[in-house]
Amino acid sequence: MMRIGAEELQERRAAGLSRVLITGGTGFLGSHIAAALLKAGCRVTILARSSKRLPARDRVGRLADWFGLEPAARERLTVAEGDILDPGWVVEAMNGTPALGRVDEIVHCASDTSFSERKRPEVEAANIGGLRNVLDLAARSACSFFHHVSTAFVAGARDGLCREEWVESGPFTNVYEETKARGEIQARDICRREGIRLSVYRPSIVYGDSRTGRTLRFNALYYPVKAAVLLRDIYASDIRERGGAKAAAMGVRTDPDGRVHLPIRIEVGPQGGLNLVPIDHCVEVFMALREECLGGGIFHIANSRPKRIEDIVGYAERYFGIRGIEACGAEAFETRPRNALERLYDSHLEAYRPYMQDLRTYEIRNSAPALAKRGLACPEFNEDVFRRCMAFAVEAGWGTRLFPA
Amino acid sequence: MPKIDRSAAATAAQCRHYAMCKIDYLATGLCPSGPEKHFVTYYPQGRMDLYRGLAEGRVPVTEALLDAADTCTLCGICDGQCHFVTGMQPTSVMRALKDAVEEHRREKGEIVRPAEDETLRRLRAIVGRDWASNDPAVLWTYADDPFPLAGPQLPLYVVLPGSRDEVAAIVRLANERDLPYAVRGNGGSVFGFVFTDGIVLDMNRMRGIEIDLPNFCAAAEPGVTSFELQQEAFRHGLRINAAEPAATVCGNIVCTGTFSTWSNVYGTAADNFIDMEFVGRDGRVFRLNDKAAPNHFAFEHRVAPSPGICTKAFVKLHPTTADEEGLLVPFEGFDEAVRFARELGQRRIGLAVAVLGAHYIAGFLSPDETLAQDLKAALPEALGVNYMVFLTGDSHAREAVRKMSPAVIDADLLRTLMLGLPKLVEPQWLELVRGYQGQERPYELLCRPEMRPLVEAALQPSPETASSCVPETLRPLYRELYRRPEMTDMVWLNMHRIVSARMSRRKHMFAFLVYLPPDNPAVIHEILDGFAGVARSHGIDHDFGFLTPMDLGKRAILEYDYYVDHTDPAEREKIARALPELDPWLDRLAERVPGVMSLKYVFSQGCSRKDGFLYRV
Repeated sequence: MMRIGAEELQERRAAGLSRVLITGGTGFLGSHIAAALLKAGCRVTILARSSKRLPARDRVGRLADWFGLEPAARERLTVAEGDILDPGWVVEAMNGTPALGRVDEIVHCASDTSFSERKRPEVEAANIGGLRNVLDLAARSACSFFHHVSTAFVAGARDGLCREEWVESGPFTNVYEETKARGEIQARDICRREGIRLSVYRPSIVYGDSRTGRTLRFNALYYPVKAAVLLRDIYASDIRERGGAKAAAMGVRTDPDGRVHLPIRIEVGPQGGLNLVPIDHCVEVFMALREECLGGGIFHIANSRPKRIEDIVGYAERYFGIRGIEACGAEAFETRPRNALERLYDSHLEAYRPYMQDLRTYEIRNSAPALAKRGLACPEFNEDVFRRCMAFAVEAGWGTRLFPA
Repeated sequence: MPKIDRSAAATAAQCRHYAMCKIDYLATGLCPSGPEKHFVTYYPQGRMDLYRGLAEGRVPVTEALLDAADTCTLCGICDGQCHFVTGMQPTSVMRALKDAVEEHRREKGEIVRPAEDETLRRLRAIVGRDWASNDPAVLWTYADDPFPLAGPQLPLYVVLPGSRDEVAAIVRLANERDLPYAVRGNGGSVFGFVFTDGIVLDMNRMRGIEIDLPNFCAAAEPGVTSFELQQEAFRHGLRINAAEPAATVCGNIVCTGTFSTWSNVYGTAADNFIDMEFVGRDGRVFRLNDKAAPNHFAFEHRVAPSPGICTKAFVKLHPTTADEEGLLVPFEGFDEAVRFARELGQRRIGLAVAVLGAHYIAGFLSPDETLAQDLKAALPEALGVNYMVFLTGDSHAREAVRKMSPAVIDADLLRTLMLGLPKLVEPQWLELVRGYQGQERPYELLCRPEMRPLVEAALQPSPETASSCVPETLRPLYRELYRRPEMTDMVWLNMHRIVSARMSRRKHMFAFLVYLPPDNPAVIHEILDGFAGVARSHGIDHDFGFLTPMDLGKRAILEYDYYVDHTDPAEREKIARALPELDPWLDRLAERVPGVMSLKYVFSQGCSRKDGFLYRV
């Protein structure tokens, strides 16, 4: 038995009575969803922590500026300071944190996206403990709809078609996948018990806006590119300013056309690629599903056309004036072991490797009617999109110049 | 009153009295007038005080003030010396002082010339005319310290004895005329313990050092600083357990027992010396090893007076080996770092050992405060390093450490990091490290030997890179300094301790030191939480300092620091409210837990056997 009927839910939304609480609202996906909801006329409360340098309100305010929110949209926005990792927060929130107010729907975006096993305690704390606290809040509040942002990679370490269904067990590639899968089950059980509608959104790798290139995060797709560009800059400066001995020792040189030859081999398998979805598509799908699929469900937000690493290497080489990066099979490293440059690059790619040659495909069935109704299709990640995204990344100093000091 | 340059006055007020301008620790030479005149008045520190005194209307223009101003040649040596540890450049103050004096002369202002009284006449009879003064400007430079809870207290006389017998004669004269006296080893004390309204004895003229190689002994007179004695020991391939570089050896042993990271192997208190010579309160001379001498080897569990004025310390010299080098072992957590340091003590691995926090590491390595702050943030956030165990040791010790913990920053890597430090904290580099998702911790990656060429390419380590963060006028000096191997050598730097004064570069530092049992993490955390809690409740900047194991890891000494702008009345008020809360809490803890003892009780009992305060049976 649901806490609220579909009709009443729609009426409350239409009347502007429904207030949406967003966790992780200062994160990449969370902030974009918050901005989209506000632009669509929703009343939104962003739960945020203060950073060392900025109070929560200012952090959100800075993002509101970045999204260019109009004054009217800002009026519908409330900032509530709180930390989902703090179990006392839920009690405090329920006892009347003034800014929190009524909660009708929760969009749970807060997550720790670390892959490394050494970060397990933090990842579990966020993705299991933090989620549990938010679900507690949902259970004890008037929340009627829980929107849980998960990941397509809960599918775990496997090949082939991954269905839009619950994943009860592994194996998983890393602690992130594992905790996100466990989190989905946790959300399912509590929402079922409490009669709260539940939608689980499973995006694959999210990058910037395919139309503008804008983004707030420079990890995932950006990280290996950023590492290559930094190496290019380090050795170009060594060649330009200090005679290039260190560059020569690594086999790095500047070609006559000015491009930097970085001899780095990247190990890739014969098949598979990166499953990339742009943030604009991700948000559009979320908005469509929230409005169209009132019964909830599990929804992949993925690209049916994964991108081969070789293609991305080519885009990056052309855009950043680099040569010499080569995608190779494992056998190439048997005959010639990795040099220091390759070992460094490899250690930086290590965590991303399962996603670089992803052999999984993601069923997109549950969302298909809503997507068709709205004419939504995941844009292809082509060279133009790459260039737009990288132009923005460079302009933003890979995040260091994103906001004015 | 002469016109005051407010910016120069503000700089003058920030002088920390670390007396680093009184030792030639950068081998750049000393302020020319200092070694000739010996009064602190004639060193940059004294001139900073004179200008502050003028600005505050506390000191009149006197003959000595004119002389102090006139003897400044504006050579700029003090700029380098002071900047290296405090970030300040005193030459602007020196220039302002000279300008003020010129203006006073132009306007034919009054020049105070105090008359010689009977006591001064007799003091001069003991030490010679030039070495005793009642000039108010001279007195002012011995009247105050940055310690905000004591002083200023103007003495009647300042006297600089040249020998033990002169010290004894001064003590007898003071007793005869019922005048209190205080000894200022190097003309200052950061704790404000050395004020008097009677006679100040400045030991700056007693600077004799005798090295007795067969006995592994260095006899030091009371004006000899730790840096100078260490430098002399180093010339002979030996080492002393040294205190802060500008602290006098005699004064520091008597006052604190001299502890350092080397106390891990060299001990503290009576471990430091073979014998000590004193002039007692009655003016009689005695040696601690004399059978008939008062028993100052025994420790009393109360605040006790010192044995007298130390006129010679026969300090132990320790042998060294040519293969000694430093290592830093990074850790994410405090407890694991302490466990590691204690294990080194227990297993007798290494020489100097200490657990350092990001705050100390960043301060030690960075010649500039902004860079230090950036590094302090980057170490935990980007590299995953919250603590490091610092160690010096021979090749065998280092090999053992590498077996215990493979990820180490060795001497070569540290040199690379120090010489490339401004590049290490550049945002794009840190962003990349932050995003690193591998199984290894980022610092483990950094420490991998095969990464070295890449780290070198990225950081471009060189004297030029390292000096790029300091003001342009000082870059030639820093380039020269960084060309010297010792400036990036952990062993040399730690022996001579020339970077430790950087800890109070931002603000005046209150160092709290506690002996404790390092095998009891709950007690260590209780102490850390206690200091942090009091600091937080009063809004005081605070941080963990260091922890060094002692006596085979059975005990350790921990430093926790509070930071206060001593020129800000609100900050002075905060520390005045906080300090009274600490003693009762620590006393209760000491009663409850064997091995806990505040260094406060060791003050003036630094000649006692350490066993008396480390253990209580």
